[in-house]
Amino acid sequence: MRNTLIFAGSSCPDLTHSICGNLGMSPAAVELSQFANGETSVKILTSIREKDVFVVQSGSPKINDSIMELLILISACKGGSANKITAVLPYFPYSRQSKKKSHRGAITARMLANLLHVAGINHVITVDLHASQMQGFFKCPVDNLHAEPLIARWIRYNVPTWREAVCVSKNAGGTKRVTSLADALKLNFGMVTTDRRRGAKDMTASMILSGRYDGSAEKDVDSGVSKLGINDDGEQDIPFVSRARTGRGSDDRSERCTHNTTPPKKTHASQSSVTSSRRAPTPTITSPLRSEHGHTSQPSQSSLSHTNNTSIASPIEEAAEFTDELAREVTHGRLVQGHIVADDYPSPSHSAMSSSIILDNPDEDPMTMSHASSFFTSDALGGTADAVASSDEEEENLSNPHLEQMITLVGDVRSRTVFIVDDMIDKSGSWIAAAETVVKRGGATKVYVIATHGLFGGDALEDLEDCNCIDKILVTNSFPIPKEKMRDSKKLVVLDLSVLLSEAIRRNHYGESISALFSHSND
Amino acid sequence: MATNSIKLLTGSSHPQLAKLVADRLGIELAKTMSLNYSNQETSVTVGESVRDEDVFILQSTAPGDINDGLMELLIMINACKTASARRITAVLPNFPYARQDKKDKSRAPISAKLIANMLQTAGCNHVITMDLHASQIQGFFNVPVDNLYAEPSTLRWIEDNLAREVQGDAGGLVIVSPDAGGAKRATSIADRLDLPFALIHKERARPNEVSRMVLVGDVKGKTCILVDDMADTCGTLAKAASTLTENGAKDVVAIVTHGILSGNAIDIILKSALRTVVVTNTVPLGDKFEKLGGDRKDGKLKVMDISPTLAEAIRRTHNGESVSFLFTHVPSS
Repeated sequence: MRNTLIFAGSSCPDLTHSICGNLGMSPAAVELSQFANGETSVKILTSIREKDVFVVQSGSPKINDSIMELLILISACKGGSANKITAVLPYFPYSRQSKKKSHRGAITARMLANLLHVAGINHVITVDLHASQMQGFFKCPVDNLHAEPLIARWIRYNVPTWREAVCVSKNAGGTKRVTSLADALKLNFGMVTTDRRRGAKDMTASMILSGRYDGSAEKDVDSGVSKLGINDDGEQDIPFVSRARTGRGSDDRSERCTHNTTPPKKTHASQSSVTSSRRAPTPTITSPLRSEHGHTSQPSQSSLSHTNNTSIASPIEEAAEFTDELAREVTHGRLVQGHIVADDYPSPSHSAMSSSIILDNPDEDPMTMSHASSFFTSDALGGTADAVASSDEEEENLSNPHLEQMITLVGDVRSRTVFIVDDMIDKSGSWIAAAETVVKRGGATKVYVIATHGLFGGDALEDLEDCNCIDKILVTNSFPIPKEKMRDSKKLVVLDLSVLLSEAIRRNHYGESISALFSHSND
Repeated sequence: MATNSIKLLTGSSHPQLAKLVADRLGIELAKTMSLNYSNQETSVTVGESVRDEDVFILQSTAPGDINDGLMELLIMINACKTASARRITAVLPNFPYARQDKKDKSRAPISAKLIANMLQTAGCNHVITMDLHASQIQGFFNVPVDNLYAEPSTLRWIEDNLAREVQGDAGGLVIVSPDAGGAKRATSIADRLDLPFALIHKERARPNEVSRMVLVGDVKGKTCILVDDMADTCGTLAKAASTLTENGAKDVVAIVTHGILSGNAIDIILKSALRTVVVTNTVPLGDKFEKLGGDRKDGKLKVMDISPTLAEAIRRTHNGESVSFLFTHVPSS
């Protein structure tokens, strides 16, 4: 493109290279370095006078350095008399801090928007903002692109059973995002919500619901789950002890199968077919058109187990069918240390229930009161759902070994493939809890974990990898994922955003409409 | 420290609420006069000195009169600004244009941001509002925004009026969100009252199929409470109520913060399966209260008074005290 320059920030050189490749140009020459004291230095090695400049920068583990580099690059372009400067931010840093979460919380995303203005941007291109209202933080135009069409397309081509699948939200806040994908694919949807305030009181409900299972099957499940519970107890400090469970795949699988209201004896056929499909090689980067060979056995497997079910436990199956049609299934589970436990699992020392009672009646025991306030500081102050940090706080509670939570699955996922969808994966706790709920409580057969931004903070990717209830992790390359991690991961699928971004850049440069990029293709 | 005092001004949109707030604060409303020129331009006169005073201007938005109210507010703010007020706080119980807060379609304007810019340009130093459609609107301003919540009042209303159902008698209660976007609001209330919740999702039409409402969650034999932040034409609420009734709900009550009730909302409510619609007085209701049965026992509209919360927020802002308390509590009367 004439009079156009694309600068690559140091956070995502690969993505920028593929964007430039798509546009038939190479990244503009720039020297990015750091002084010994850590200050960032930028030297632009080409003329930018009256040029249309695009600066591509994503987040990185050193997020503040990335931001500073971006600001300096923009400022340098401004100083060099660039005609128009567009910041291309596949992942918008600090986007989770877009509102006052607790009182006196900073709206950092807005501050970043102001900083970009001061540096000299004229336009922003980004993908799947955490809250689309953030477009209003800028004085300049913002193009918030959606990865949803890409994700939907991948699902249609690579998930053999997608027509029968269910999209599930892992928290109440993200429901809209999930229903949007569900609508695009014409699928049913469901929702998982963790609830601090429901302890033993709702046990009756959960007992009744699980009582629908075949008696022997349930016994088997419970014993399997309580085994997990013991494991969890052993390592109090590490919230997610999934590493200790590697090699027990088949064990957990049988658990999963028995939950499909199938008595244990009959599970062998389906179990083996599942495990074989699991061993199938998984491509790290799948082109949208390629289907996965590993999962071709899936339809036959599910139909097999289905016939088994009906022949043995027909009245139970009927009950399940009934709720299926009305789509009003509500399933509860108990969550300790981020994992589903059996109904008779001993309650940890402080259950969420007791603390919530304290919050509501401040004249209760002062000892426990102080304890509770340390858990719920942000919540006690944040009066409504909107003010509370959903996912971050969830994670906090999940990793608390003393806290028991009630996790509720709304919607029917029995014997179906489940897509758990959100906009980003940072920590793994809430994803694993949601996946375990839909599999162990809801009876889902396969779980795809789907997000636009794969941040994978800490060991999140490894934890997800180790979770037996998750079959695939689907993210885009908006946030750079280290090559080793991509290579080591068997479940990870990374979709390429460069086509979307380069098309947005091209259309912006030529002044064409970008509306077409939001629509779903029907091929 | 400051020897200045609160000056409470009000626009012409909601004098009743302004009076309640002023009474609560134990002060008189400042004298202002606003009139329209014959070509409908608004003219404002502030009738007493505001020099070095802490000025609060309360303006709600009456349906059908929103732009006039907004213009009046802007002129009033600017009048106080040029009259050397120390600080000007706009008290907007119902933030206008709050629903246009994102570019959800191509080329859609972000009008809420425009309103924020206009308020700041006029000279507003602080904003107090209630139950913003999206909290992110706070980020549209470069001045502090206190977003108060009607949730404590809602909880109190439920506990006062549906005590038996809260205890699990009479079939029990279930909190229902009428659309997927409001799920979080519903779960928050359900959490606080330790109640189950349900969700209604309007499925977009599949090819050759009529669009339908899908209810997720169990409501059979229960009293349902629909919660939302605003009720405009009430079409969604009425449809949700009929979906709930079809699925065996015993009774349906709707609680919304901003009862805009424009268009033919009255007819829709009267014909709907809703037993009661509970709103706050953030928006002037005019004669709608009477039309929906007024104070009669079978009246379909109930009103929660949130003036104590607004008054307390004003008092605390003026005295430099923390406002956090109001996010979880209703000031005692």
